[in-house]
Amino acid sequence: MQIIISNSSKEPIYEQITSQIKKQILTGDLQEGQALPSMRQLAKDLQISVITTKRAYEELEKNGFIYSIVGKGSFVSEQNTEMIKERKMKVIEEKLVEAIENSKDMGIGLAELKEMLTLLYSEEE
Amino acid sequence: MENVIELQNVTKSFKGFQVKDLSIAVKKGFVTGFIGGNGAGKSTTIKLIMNLLKQDSGSISVFGLTHETNERAIKERIGFVYDENIFYENLTLKDMKKIIRPAYQQWDDAIFQKYINQFELPLNKKIKTFSKGMKMKASLAIALSHQAELIIMDEPTSGLDPVFRRELLNILHELMQDGDKTIFFSTHITTDLDRIADYIIFLNDGEHVFTKEFYKIQEDYAIVKGPLDLLDADTEQEFVAVQKSNIGFEGLTGNKERIESLFGESVVLEKPTLEDIMYYTKKGGRLNG
Amino acid sequence: MVNLIWKDILIQKRQIPIYLGIIILCFWEDGVPLWWLAFITSISFIMNAFYYDEKDNINILLNSLPYTRKQIVISKYLGALVFTGLFIGVIMGGGFIINGMELSFSWKDILHTFGLIMAFLSIIFPFFYKFKQQYLMIGAMVLFVVAVFAFRIVMQIFNEQFDKVFQWLASLPELQLYSFTALVILLLYSASWLLSMRIYERKVF
Repeated sequence: MQIIISNSSKEPIYEQITSQIKKQILTGDLQEGQALPSMRQLAKDLQISVITTKRAYEELEKNGFIYSIVGKGSFVSEQNTEMIKERKMKVIEEKLVEAIENSKDMGIGLAELKEMLTLLYSEEE
Repeated sequence: MENVIELQNVTKSFKGFQVKDLSIAVKKGFVTGFIGGNGAGKSTTIKLIMNLLKQDSGSISVFGLTHETNERAIKERIGFVYDENIFYENLTLKDMKKIIRPAYQQWDDAIFQKYINQFELPLNKKIKTFSKGMKMKASLAIALSHQAELIIMDEPTSGLDPVFRRELLNILHELMQDGDKTIFFSTHITTDLDRIADYIIFLNDGEHVFTKEFYKIQEDYAIVKGPLDLLDADTEQEFVAVQKSNIGFEGLTGNKERIESLFGESVVLEKPTLEDIMYYTKKGGRLNG
Repeated sequence: MVNLIWKDILIQKRQIPIYLGIIILCFWEDGVPLWWLAFITSISFIMNAFYYDEKDNINILLNSLPYTRKQIVISKYLGALVFTGLFIGVIMGGGFIINGMELSFSWKDILHTFGLIMAFLSIIFPFFYKFKQQYLMIGAMVLFVVAVFAFRIVMQIFNEQFDKVFQWLASLPELQLYSFTALVILLLYSASWLLSMRIYERKVF
């Protein structure tokens, strides 16, 4: 597991940890059932306080990415791919709704928006 | 969560100085940083916890025990490092060890030797030839050599160079791998705390300002910078203290969200350092008090 | 407690040759009663230990170690008796060798020394605990010099009066006299000990 944190980043350190672990779980770098370092070990390795790693792990646990067994440590949860897809779809939907709302505010029509989307999509490829 | 140290409504008065109605707790398994300016009452509080001073009123418990009935049991489990020299200047560290070792039931010579080597301390030189940093290292080696569950340190880093300060943090991190150990230390070199402190207890003029998770401080507090015309008698109340200049103001808030909703984009918010918080709190206290 | 008594020896290990030197010197100097020598060396040793503790913040150290304040005070009072015993032993041994197999210390001398030490410390200890003594070492030195001279001068001037007092005391049955004195001194020592404990319990560091 690789984690790089930045002290000068605006993002809180615990969020930097959770987002990086999440990403590694979603990309499959961290396999289901794989043990994570203990939060005290991680704190030592990252030279940060225990409570920060504790919070990061708690957050990951709450979101179902990892689970903890008392006395054994934390492990990557079984990732239901359907669920992940669904979750991601939801995020996309939300962002699109936001874009639509902004467009309406500006008086941009559906056709124009579609055009923009097509253009942006092809640019990203 | 279990508290290792608990002070309830503790008051202690001296000539011209007072610790007022202090209620604080130090949680087991974590590192708690104890901050405040000179004369804020940090050393007094540590001395009260060590029973070197007696409180005028209020109660103090360590490991759930009180000094009145369990002084020895408590001190058996504490490793201490003080700001001042507490060794016989004319003795060697080897002699000091001979004096201190029999006091503890769980003294471990191998661990002591390990730290002596690691800290490169001479065993056969008189303590009076030691620098401040070496004396602190000697104290630390002793504090860590008897399986103490609670390490209490008063300004441990003040005589240390940056390299050893970092090394000390590594040692403390190593120590914290054991979830039953607790560290409580005062400092005014607040950058030391960034890398290790779980909780911060902040004292100002003998009064408890807050006990917070380290990350929570940066969620609650913010340095706010903006144009002077935003300030009036009402909005100024939102700040712990404000510093004005011809080109604008800079202030500290303890309620970041409120400032965001109040001023929106017209101000710049920055992460405060502990020093910022200490500075503005002191300033605010002086104005209000 | 044994640790704390042993500590007082350890911190003075470099001074021990000096004590021995003084003792040997006094063997050559006629007219210094050996029980007086035992008294002076013991008192210096006890006060010197006290001085070192004060000088280097050792009370903060001791009170942070798993000792109670009671133990710290008790160890001083018991230690004083142990050290006196040791010095008497050394002086007796030394005299035995140097003076050619002649016992120079009677059991009465031993009692005198202990009595004097205990009476003296009963008064001095509470003072030491009460007041921050920065100059205990110098005090001890001065006391030593003054005491040696004072003893000679006082003995010369008040020779007759002393004789009278001694005669009166001698007229008492010996056992009664010694028991009575011992009781008084023990009571004094215990009272002093309790007083020192009270003072020390309230002390701040």
